[in-house]
Amino acid sequence: MIQNTSAARSSFAQISKVINPLTSAFKTPAGRIGLPLVLLHVLLAAFGSFLAPYSPTDFSDATYVKPFTSAVDGAIPHILGTDQFGRDVFSRLLSGARSIILISGIGSILGVALGTAIGMTSGYLGGKADEIIMRIADGLMSFPSLLLALLVLSVSDSLVWLDGISSTFATRKESILVIGTMAIVHAPRVARVLRSATLTIKTQEYVDSARLRGESAYYIIFKEILPNALPVLAVEGSVRFSYAILLASSLGFLGLGVEPPSPDWGAMISDSRSILTRAPWVPLAPAAAVASLVVGVNLLTEGIRDAQKLPTELPE
Amino acid sequence: MTNNSINQTDSAPLLEVKNLGVSFFTPRGTVRAVRDASLTVRRGEVVGLVGESGCGKSTVAFSIMGYLPGIVQVDGEILYDGKDLVGMDESELEALRGNRIAMVYQDPQTSLNPTMKIGPQMREVLKTHLDLGKQEIRSRAIELFESVGLASPDTIGERYPHELSGGMQQRVVIALALACEPDLLIMDEPTTGLDVTTEATILDLIVDLKDRVNAGILFVSHNLGVIARVADRVTVMYASQTVEDADVRNIFNSPQHPYTAGLLSCVPKPANELGITPRLKSIPGSVFEARLEAGNECLFAPRCPIAHDQCTQNAPEISDADGHQVRCFFPDEVTSDIWGELKPRRDFESEDDAVVIEANDLNVRYRSRQGKKYILFGDEAQPPVRAVVDASFKVTKSRTLGIVGESGSGKSTTARALIGLTQKSSGSMLLNGDELETDSANRSDDQRADLRMVFQNPTASLNPKLPIKHAITRSLKLFGNFDNQGAYDEARALLEAVGLNPDYIERIPSELSGGEQQRVALASAFAANPKAILADEAVSALDVSVQAQVLNLLLRNQQENETSFVFISHDLGVVRYVSDDIMVMYAGHVAEQGPADAVLSSPSHPYTEALLSAAPEPDPDATPSIIRLDGAVPTMRERFTGCFFADRCHRKIDQRCDEIEPPAQSVNSSNHIIRCHIPIDQLVSQS
Repeated sequence: MIQNTSAARSSFAQISKVINPLTSAFKTPAGRIGLPLVLLHVLLAAFGSFLAPYSPTDFSDATYVKPFTSAVDGAIPHILGTDQFGRDVFSRLLSGARSIILISGIGSILGVALGTAIGMTSGYLGGKADEIIMRIADGLMSFPSLLLALLVLSVSDSLVWLDGISSTFATRKESILVIGTMAIVHAPRVARVLRSATLTIKTQEYVDSARLRGESAYYIIFKEILPNALPVLAVEGSVRFSYAILLASSLGFLGLGVEPPSPDWGAMISDSRSILTRAPWVPLAPAAAVASLVVGVNLLTEGIRDAQKLPTELPE
Repeated sequence: MTNNSINQTDSAPLLEVKNLGVSFFTPRGTVRAVRDASLTVRRGEVVGLVGESGCGKSTVAFSIMGYLPGIVQVDGEILYDGKDLVGMDESELEALRGNRIAMVYQDPQTSLNPTMKIGPQMREVLKTHLDLGKQEIRSRAIELFESVGLASPDTIGERYPHELSGGMQQRVVIALALACEPDLLIMDEPTTGLDVTTEATILDLIVDLKDRVNAGILFVSHNLGVIARVADRVTVMYASQTVEDADVRNIFNSPQHPYTAGLLSCVPKPANELGITPRLKSIPGSVFEARLEAGNECLFAPRCPIAHDQCTQNAPEISDADGHQVRCFFPDEVTSDIWGELKPRRDFESEDDAVVIEANDLNVRYRSRQGKKYILFGDEAQPPVRAVVDASFKVTKSRTLGIVGESGSGKSTTARALIGLTQKSSGSMLLNGDELETDSANRSDDQRADLRMVFQNPTASLNPKLPIKHAITRSLKLFGNFDNQGAYDEARALLEAVGLNPDYIERIPSELSGGEQQRVALASAFAANPKAILADEAVSALDVSVQAQVLNLLLRNQQENETSFVFISHDLGVVRYVSDDIMVMYAGHVAEQGPADAVLSSPSHPYTEALLSAAPEPDPDATPSIIRLDGAVPTMRERFTGCFFADRCHRKIDQRCDEIEPPAQSVNSSNHIIRCHIPIDQLVSQS
């Protein structure tokens, strides 16, 4: 019985440790705006396509319908109007949320995971191993991320081995390549930050104590150091997520996102920029969607950062 | 200086704090940092404000200066020269601060601007507050540097703060505070960050200043020895209230508040006339928290040995008898033995002389990385630092070796080399007769289990994100073959053994006080019964009452498990209390070693003599010894010749000291060894 409760306690402790930076961020002004904004987008990504009143891909004769008006009397109004092909912009926006959140979310999670593992190991080991790993990271960081993504995508046809993976996940090869690029682009940046956090933490006496107990390097890095690097990790993950969103929408804008006619926010802006003066709502709606997501993520980052700096000590 | 002619004790108080209350409003609730504090400072008088951490001493000091952060409410009166500082507007306060009231902070490094030379910093202060010409400012600055005893006062202004030692920096800070001849000087733990030999010289300066400048000084410190040395009157604070206020001799010789009596009995004292070191008493429990709302009760009652029913039903007020003020209903019941009878330090002596730890010619060199920033290129700019030089010692079963010395003396490095955290460069280390590998990672589990370490800072030695059971149960599982449930039960038993509630086991360290954290660290060191424990400044970060508890715990563990200890501290009093043998280290060298009694009595090494004379005794009648050392512990590099102590030695004899390494002389061919050129018979103390 005691065992059970203590096990339950510790698993609860594990969960609360992970969400703690988020809940504490909610107590700051920036986080109070940022967190709901990000959650809204995540919910849209999950359920948006079911809420869409119209088909996001079917053409219709009702082109250039203004926002909040119906094409036919009694029909559901087009909240954000329709585009030059008569597609409902609001429905396209809802359906397009999933791809951008999924791609940038998975890409940044992979990048953060990879970067954390590399950075912490490098920082903990120190010496020559650290020196070599960090010089490689510097090299990778000197690549502009968008160019690297374009380069990888341009050779995607020749990467036959990827066909198997993409069919397993029932997705396009390009999406996997974009995710992979994001991971590679973000890993060295995350590694750098986590390495410096590890360098500070590893001089603490509790790390010395663990070494004196004969704990393995793996145990010390993940059990003793990682929990103390979580606030840094949360901020860094959040920063990387916002960069990933910008990268994903830039690629969409350049026509390298999801296969048309599936909706993609970047592609929606790109396709409709020529009608900016005639029907400004068509390019502005997806632009506002990207902007609100990025602003939301950045505010959340700010909130997490502020929450860590809250004064906890008073003069004696 | 207006009223020089008036007799000092009769003069009107310079500063009167009356029923001061300070509350901070924080997002996590109201903190009553000061509930009811009253004190008086007169001209030419040093008032010591003493108490443990968390009792509100610094808040009192800062509220006099008007430096209180955040949203704060101040009640009561702070009368300076009859004018109330509470509620005074900022511009009026500005005129007083720096000009009439000056403050000296604990850490001189943060008080001085690191990017500015000393001279310009001083001239800036003089220019802001005084109406003087350029030449006058210059000469006044030199005068001030001279008055605080800085060597070469006319050129020191050209130096940056980092070029000065800690003691010199603090002198500069004091000179800055004296710049405008203030009437009131507030000193907040001004010697706490300094080495004991430097502290002694700064205390001399403060005593000297008191006579010269005719200012009132409020001296805040947690250290009773320091207070005894400098103060004329003492105000004792407990749990945000002042509880006793009297002449320094009355406080130390006949305390009337049980808390004051308790504090005094927590401080290690030398052996009495019978040669018995009295066992330290300790105050159970912890300080009443500032976050809590006080009811109608005495805040000390839960920890008081003489508490009556009345104490929990009414709050005592300050009562005054012949200038001895005390906040207690029963001051007459306070005697020297309310905190327990006089008992010897421990009730056993070890007869077993099996050697547990042995080090032979242990050397540690630190290679500097300067000039060799990249992996492949460049030579080392400077020769290696000699952190430990030829240290040889033995620790036998259930005995304690104390290592004492100032910071930079190599005592911590010795411990870190023994435990395998720092690489030795030559020499051998043995545990139970078996060779110890240099790196802890290469030692056997048995060796790691038998030799454990307790670190200085309990907050740093426990992982802040993991429950306190973590460190204990991991040790048990790795060393004691315990399964999960067994380790959990044993960890609870260990917590109980170090006097902690076993239900704390799931708490994280920040939910515990510093003393409680250090007990957890002890519990984890005691896990799986090690043969030897290295304690590196294990009580230095603790308040005296908690320090006494921890020291007694160590002694009890030694008695029960026949553990050997290597106990490292800069505090001679603490080392004297726990040690059977003592090793005095200086700049990496062993200056003197041998049985504790022999080392602490004459004949002794000049450095030991200076350390003994610098240690502040909690006795206002103790005559301060006159041996003082200038400067700071040097860094010893390779290629160094002569005696390691020659630079600062007050008994340096001749050329030999600069050229030849001192011989290890044995006193009466015993194991009491002194490394000095001066013949043993001349090392007998002259005082």
